[in-house]
Amino acid sequence: MLDRRFLEHFDWWLFLAVLLLMAIGFVNLNSGSAATGYPFQWKQLQWYIAGTILMLSLVIFFDYRLLTVYSVHIYLIMVFMLILVVFIGKTVGGSQRWLSLGFMNIQPSELAKLATVIVLSSYFYHDDRPQYGLTDLWRPFLLMLVPIFLIYHQPDLGTALFLMLIFASLVYMARLKWTSFLLLLGSAIAAFPVAWEFLKPYQRDRIMDFIFPGRDPLGAGYHISQSKIAIGSGQILGKGYMKGSQAQLNFLPEVHTDFAFSIWAEEWGWFGAVILLGIFFLMLYRGFLIASQSRERFGAFLAFGITAMLFWQVVINIGMVMGLVPVVGIPLPLISYGGSSVFTTLIGVGLLLNVRSRRFMFQKGTGTR
Amino acid sequence: MKFKIKTIWRVKRFDRLDQEANKQRCDVAVLIMFLFMVTFCARLWHLQVVQGEHFREQSERNRIRSVRLQPPRGKILDRTGRLLAGVKPCFNVCLVREDVGDMEALLAKLSPLLGETEAGIRTRLGSEHKGPKYVPIVIKRGAEWETLSRIESRLFSLPGVFIEVTPARKYPYGSIAPHLLGYLGEISREDIVKERYKGARLGDLVGKCGVEERFENDLAGIKGRRRLEVDAGGRLVRVIDEKPPVPGKDLYLSIDLDLQQASEEAMKGYVGALVALDPQTGRILALVSSPAFDPDAFATGINNEEWKALNDPVSRPLQNKALQGRYAPASTFKIVMAAAALQEGIVTKNTSFKCTSRFRLGRSVFRCWDWRGHGRTNLYKALVESCDIYFYQVGLKLGIEKIAKYAKAFGLGSKTGIDLPNESRGLIATLDWKLGRYHEPWQEGETLITAIGQGFTLVTPLQMACLTAAVANGGTLYSPVYLEKMTGPDGHIVTSFESDPKDKLPISEANLRIIRRALLGVVEDKKGTGKQCKLPDVHVAGKTGTAQVIGQDKRRQDKKLDWEHRDHAWFVAYAPAEKPELAVAVLCEHAGHGGSVAAPVARKVFETWFQIQSPLPVLGPHKTAFNVNNIELLAVSY
Repeated sequence: MLDRRFLEHFDWWLFLAVLLLMAIGFVNLNSGSAATGYPFQWKQLQWYIAGTILMLSLVIFFDYRLLTVYSVHIYLIMVFMLILVVFIGKTVGGSQRWLSLGFMNIQPSELAKLATVIVLSSYFYHDDRPQYGLTDLWRPFLLMLVPIFLIYHQPDLGTALFLMLIFASLVYMARLKWTSFLLLLGSAIAAFPVAWEFLKPYQRDRIMDFIFPGRDPLGAGYHISQSKIAIGSGQILGKGYMKGSQAQLNFLPEVHTDFAFSIWAEEWGWFGAVILLGIFFLMLYRGFLIASQSRERFGAFLAFGITAMLFWQVVINIGMVMGLVPVVGIPLPLISYGGSSVFTTLIGVGLLLNVRSRRFMFQKGTGTR
Repeated sequence: MKFKIKTIWRVKRFDRLDQEANKQRCDVAVLIMFLFMVTFCARLWHLQVVQGEHFREQSERNRIRSVRLQPPRGKILDRTGRLLAGVKPCFNVCLVREDVGDMEALLAKLSPLLGETEAGIRTRLGSEHKGPKYVPIVIKRGAEWETLSRIESRLFSLPGVFIEVTPARKYPYGSIAPHLLGYLGEISREDIVKERYKGARLGDLVGKCGVEERFENDLAGIKGRRRLEVDAGGRLVRVIDEKPPVPGKDLYLSIDLDLQQASEEAMKGYVGALVALDPQTGRILALVSSPAFDPDAFATGINNEEWKALNDPVSRPLQNKALQGRYAPASTFKIVMAAAALQEGIVTKNTSFKCTSRFRLGRSVFRCWDWRGHGRTNLYKALVESCDIYFYQVGLKLGIEKIAKYAKAFGLGSKTGIDLPNESRGLIATLDWKLGRYHEPWQEGETLITAIGQGFTLVTPLQMACLTAAVANGGTLYSPVYLEKMTGPDGHIVTSFESDPKDKLPISEANLRIIRRALLGVVEDKKGTGKQCKLPDVHVAGKTGTAQVIGQDKRRQDKKLDWEHRDHAWFVAYAPAEKPELAVAVLCEHAGHGGSVAAPVARKVFETWFQIQSPLPVLGPHKTAFNVNNIELLAVSY
């Protein structure tokens, strides 16, 4: 069944970038684990291997076009899992985000990111218009509001806003009317004071710390100032592998999850950090290329949405650890520890490769098979 | 379905215009991404190269240290509020490896101060080497005053060393019920990996068994923390902030200190267990497993020899024999047999069998314990004098399945449901069980020995105590509780513990009365096997048991038996017979006859209990309305 053209169209560059990221992720976690005294890296390796197998089998045995039919199912499963979290979720650190499966805990809000992309792509595929106004968008917006509310309720404001960002990205792809865009922008600015009232005190603190850094170096801003010290003290060449004092002496919190980039930059310096950014750039560039070269609407939206999802995660996480974005718990794809995040990323990449590999099916004259 | 699949493949292709627009939007996205990446590289350059020197300096000066503040552990008190286990300060000598410059030199200096060899300290350090370097390691726990003052005065020349104060257990009345209370010991690596206790780390003391383990999370309280700024040598520069610890909750047990002490005293010298409970509520008033152990030893560390003594295979001091010891119930099981026989209508209280001390079944001969035989024996006499022949006959008529059914109804063969880990279930054999276990059919002779509480049957002293309490209180089987209440640090009650009736015995009130009357005879009658438990002022009812641990034929051969071949002594009893306040089960391993060994132990417990119960004047039997003859009238209506 494997078509020769299939291998020809396989995106080796994207595959290479993902493999490199996993290698860096493992090496970096090895150092982070020494700091926390718990062997996270081996667990992560299991996720990597299982995720890669899943990713490749998705490319070979699955046709992404099936998703146009099953998007309703995916949406319902996502909402069901998020509701399940409300009732039987495991609470860690004050928020209820995990579902315990016995051998692993899954974080449905991670999987919801990908599910959102699939569902919205499918929506815009079926509801094909050259341009969208506000009145055309209330339906997908309502669709989004359910998972967003459930995730906000956990509480996980970061991921809830993240889903909005994915929505915005896909609306951009679908083309918004200029008048509608200006209207939205205006109302967003007007809504800000209202939203401020809804935020929890610690969330307000984080935003205030972002606007006025150094306001309270041992309070809420502690994480960021320690992270900046970690990155900055790496200088050009870094302190050397496993020698980052910020991470190893535990001044850095959450070294294995949200602040994984900080250890990397501390131990490998500016060069190491730029190389890592370069690999991310390669991955994302290939992703956008797949979207732009897709010959049909669903594939283009799907590829664009997944790439945008990865892109915003990279931007928010790295921006946060460098003090450019307020503190939110968004993991760095394939670098941060976490089974759900790794799986979401690898399934996403699997779909990207899938869209690319099946491009030949739309070549001249063969719109259908 | 086929049609549907086909339509899926037929996705709409872009036309040329759409393709163009699509490409254009993706190009813009790539451009935006590129701008972000450039911004990040520039920001990294700014942080790492322009400000790098400044941050490097900061990271080297970064010596904020978080110190945990230990909350005082919750107290454990008896039912009247007397302190069983309190807290005292314990001084530990600790070491932070990160701050040590020259480890060799430091060890050389420390070794004479602590009075320990360098190798000894090194193994202590080595065993915890895996943890992060900034976590303090306890190198000497519970250091004495002299050691402390020696080290304190030299602290300036010992970088990385400091003295930490942690709460440790104090036992004002000495070690009380160590098996029930449990002890504190260093947390195991496994517990840390499994995150069994929140915020615990290597070197912490946690409850290891009994109440201390079961209520670890309540007793431990919540740790506080203090953030300090220290200089490069680890010395304090200033305190930054502090989150105070929350003290643990206090636990009131249902144990009565006086009764517990008297029970422990009475069991001294025996290997075995004793359980005393209030038959009306199911609350445990005393729980002894003998020999005891010293709970303090675990906190400071145990050497090899002590460990060997604690795991002595004969006396097994660490085992809680009241819950985990499994013994043949012997003649105490006749209570169950008698109730079953009455309830099933196999005998009435007047039915009698002739005991010639021998009972023939097929080719085997089964004997009564008394070689002279008991003559004509009815139920009353059979219980009072513990006639085996009577119960052989009853057992044969009942059959093993019925015996097992009643034994289970009396709570044997299943956990009593006490809120402690590792309770033993005991064993009640049935036909199926034997087939499954030995792949052999049941023998009739086995029914006979089961009828007198030997054979496969195994029970725990706690099960027997609950059984006795159920007979005493008129048939309510309780899940025993050992807790009264839990209070917060300010004294308000957080939880009250109530025992709930687990089951009702399937025995009619009239039949129970017949049995109770016979149990009274066991102690009060001249020929009663339990007369050594007789008290001058209070009527006691009970049943003796003598469990053989080797076969009858073997004991003929040599006269004086080795210790481990001697019989287990059982005695279960309650008093006052008219209105039971206390039910007791005593088991002494390899100590001899139930009547001569276990009954006197129980008597001491009853004596203590009724002494505690004064100021109520205790009337002599001649003055009270309740004497043996009156009870007969009151209790047995025929």
